[in-house]
This record gives sequence, C-alpha cells and structure tokens, in this order.
Amino acid sequence: MTDYAVRITRLNYSYPDGTQALESIDLDLKKGERVALVGPSGAGKSTLLLHLNGVLKGSGTVRILGQTIADGDLKFIRKQVGLLFQDPNDQLFCPTVFEDIAFGPLNLGVDAQEISKRVEKALSDVMLDHSYASRSAHHLSQGERKRVALATVLAMEPNVLALDEPTGNLDPGNRRHLIELIAGLPATLILGTHDLEMVLALCDRTVVLDRGKIHADGETSAILADAGLMEQHGLEVPLSLRSRRG
Amino acid sequence: MKHSFIDRFGDLDSPLHVLDARTKIVGFTALTVAALLIPAGNSGQFFAFFFFIAILAGISQIPLQYVVGRTAVILPFVLLAGLAAPYRGTQRWAWLAALLLRSTLCLLILVLLTNTSRFAEFLRGLRKLGCPRIMAVNLGFLYRYLFVLSDEIMRMRQARDCRRVGALGTISEMKILGSMLGTLMVRSFERADHMYHAMLSRGFSGEFPVAAPRRFSWRDLAFVSLVALFIAATFYL
Repeated sequence: MTDYAVRITRLNYSYPDGTQALESIDLDLKKGERVALVGPSGAGKSTLLLHLNGVLKGSGTVRILGQTIADGDLKFIRKQVGLLFQDPNDQLFCPTVFEDIAFGPLNLGVDAQEISKRVEKALSDVMLDHSYASRSAHHLSQGERKRVALATVLAMEPNVLALDEPTGNLDPGNRRHLIELIAGLPATLILGTHDLEMVLALCDRTVVLDRGKIHADGETSAILADAGLMEQHGLEVPLSLRSRRG
Repeated sequence: MKHSFIDRFGDLDSPLHVLDARTKIVGFTALTVAALLIPAGNSGQFFAFFFFIAILAGISQIPLQYVVGRTAVILPFVLLAGLAAPYRGTQRWAWLAALLLRSTLCLLILVLLTNTSRFAEFLRGLRKLGCPRIMAVNLGFLYRYLFVLSDEIMRMRQARDCRRVGALGTISEMKILGSMLGTLMVRSFERADHMYHAMLSRGFSGEFPVAAPRRFSWRDLAFVSLVALFIAATFYL
C-alpha cells in the first residue's frame, strides 16, 4: 500500500500546435497532503491538473494511489481524482443541479437509491439547501455555481481533489465561504491558484510552476516570502506576509 | 444580464405543475391539434376553447399578464407565417379571423405547456414519449448554454461599443460583426472542449446515465380524460 496519493515522474506535454506546455515535471503528493500550485497565467497549472485524471496524456508517468494512468482503469482513476474546473459553467451542463451532482456517481455505477443520498450529502457539504437540487444552473449566482460545481466533484467521493482557481471571480464573502469549505475537506489536495492568501490559509507546501517547469517546491511561508522568487515568476509576496515583515 | 427563460414559472406548485410532463405534452398537443381543426366561422367552438384555456391558465397560477404578454410578442411572427400559406375559399375575412384566433389559441397553449414544467422535465417527458435521446440531450445543452452564449454576446457588444466613437460605414460594421461571430464560434468550440473534459472527469464514457423515472398518477389520468372529453364535446355536441 503506497503512502503517496499522486506520483508524477518526468512528465512532458506539448499542445497540438507543438508548444511545450510541461517539461520534465516530477511531483509527489503524500496522502492527506495539501499542496498549492502557483505560477503566472500560462504557466501550465491547468494543463498539469488535467493530467491527474487522464484527460490529457503526456509522456512520463502519472500514478494515482499506486495505479499508473496509462495502464490503469480510467474509471478507478476518475473516481479517485475529483477535478474542479476554473469556470463552473464548463462543469454544470445538466438541466438541474440534482442531475449535475448525480452525473458522476451514475457514471460510476452507483445505484439509484444511493444517488439521492449522495446528492443530499454533497449539497450539505457545500452548505446549500436541498431546494437547490431542482434548480437550473443558469438561475444561480456565480458563488452558488462554484459551490454546486464543487458538489458535483464531492459526490464522487474522491481521495484526491484537484481544484483549478476555486476562488476565481468570487466576491469576498463567497470566497471566504469557499475557503472554509475546502479547509474542512479530508482529501489530498492540489490547488492551482493565483490567490496566494488562500494558499497561506490552506496549504503547507507550495510548488512554483512557470513556463511548464517547476522552479521551487517547499514550505509555503518560505516560498511565498521569497520576494525575489515571487517577482521572477510573475507573482508577489502576499500582503499578510509583507505586513508581518513590516 | 436578465434572461428570458422559457420555463420562467416552471417551479410553481399548481395542480397542473404536479402532473407528469408526458401528460401535459400529450394533453396540450391534443388541444393544439383540435384548435387548428376548428372550422372558420364557428365562433361557439372558439369561445369554448378560449374559456377552457382561461380556466387552465387560472389553475396553473401563472400570471395572466405573462401569459398574454408572451403570446402577444410571438403572435406577429406566427401570423406572418400563416399569411404566407395559400388561401382557399371565398370568405377572406372569416379566414383571416380564424387564422388569428387559431394562432392565439395555439400560442396560449404553448405558453402554458412550457411554463407548467421545468424545461428539464419537459425534455424528460419528450424522451419518455419516444424522442431520440441524442435530440433531447442536444436540446438540453442548447437551452443550458443559450444564456451563457447570450452573456458572451452582450459582453462583446459592450466591449465593441466602449471603443467605438461615432458611426462607422456599413462595410466596417459588417466586418466587425463578422469578427464577433467568428470569435463567438471559436469560444463556443473551446467551451464545448472544456465541457467534454468536465464530463470525462466525472466518468463519462459515451452513454448518458439515467436516474429514477417519475411516476404516473391518477391526476395525470384525470387531466388527459378531461382534455379528451372537452375536445369531444366541442366537436360532436
């Protein structure tokens, strides 16, 4: 039984037009670890996250809970890895919230009786009332859509959560609620984000990705407090760390 | 952006809303066909149909202003299409009056049909009545993303207007419009790609899964029987 939730070894990926998106990525996540993936826009964060459940396949090896994606059962992999997309409109494509949340478990073969329980639990996990189940995504606010999108992923009961810019386009109130939600989730977490204050709040470890390569990997406070490193990769020291330094 | 949803009142809790969508599709379609068969000049039958539809509208609790307003907006287009049809007979005014009355009745029925069920329920009903799954799925995606696309169009128009000073020539306007449409197509394609990735991420393997179906009850039977009796009564009595 492996201690690692995710093991990525020498991963390379190029877009169809030939642009190198990821270059020699080596990254291991232990079970229960919370890792932030930070970097400027176009660094390859979303591309890397899409490799975790086999949606994109580069050269190199990606192992999820000991199983290699290339040889493994994709159904198992996609059950283990829950991926939250940057734009909830991409993730909410069913006529009602119930159907969107049920989509994943139904594809996994969960029986009809269990589906309703999963939907109820997922809505409760994201602190939405069960009345949301019958609503349509286009009637929801951006904050509500983000929560429902998270619920669609949680309903599959993944062991690894990969979140792509979860706080993007959210107002401060919704952002705070979402951070609190994520903080309470037990799964191994990899968070692709520009929200460095959220990284400080949620992740013990931070990886800096820029132009498809990993440039730094270490303890969050140390990485984010390194002004030179941050500036070099299109980021900046978070305000809370700057305030502490005075 | 404020959207004009087809099923704006689909979430109400009236005796009509609780019926199975199949019942409503069959019942309202039967009423539509019957309305189209009312002979020109038969004012008694037209009155009976308007009265019956008014009762159904009252039971549905959908605001009358909405029902009438929606009908009034769509009516000119239906009338234009109707006027294009070849005219037969000698009493032109009776024919025109019948066209107007039949169109109005059909639109009122359509507004009731689309607003007494959520669009998702309506599609499920169509699917249960034999509509091919691929068509129902595509209609669902179309309705879901119509508003996303209209928001996209609104933002593009606003961006264009912010950088446009004074009137441009027709050719320039057409070029800009062409670019906008092309960009919208590319963005739609990209969104479809992202959606497909999202579907794959949640275990999709090509076949759409189905959750538990809705049950038919005595209320559905009662509604269909009532509609059938009404049509029979207006045509044969």
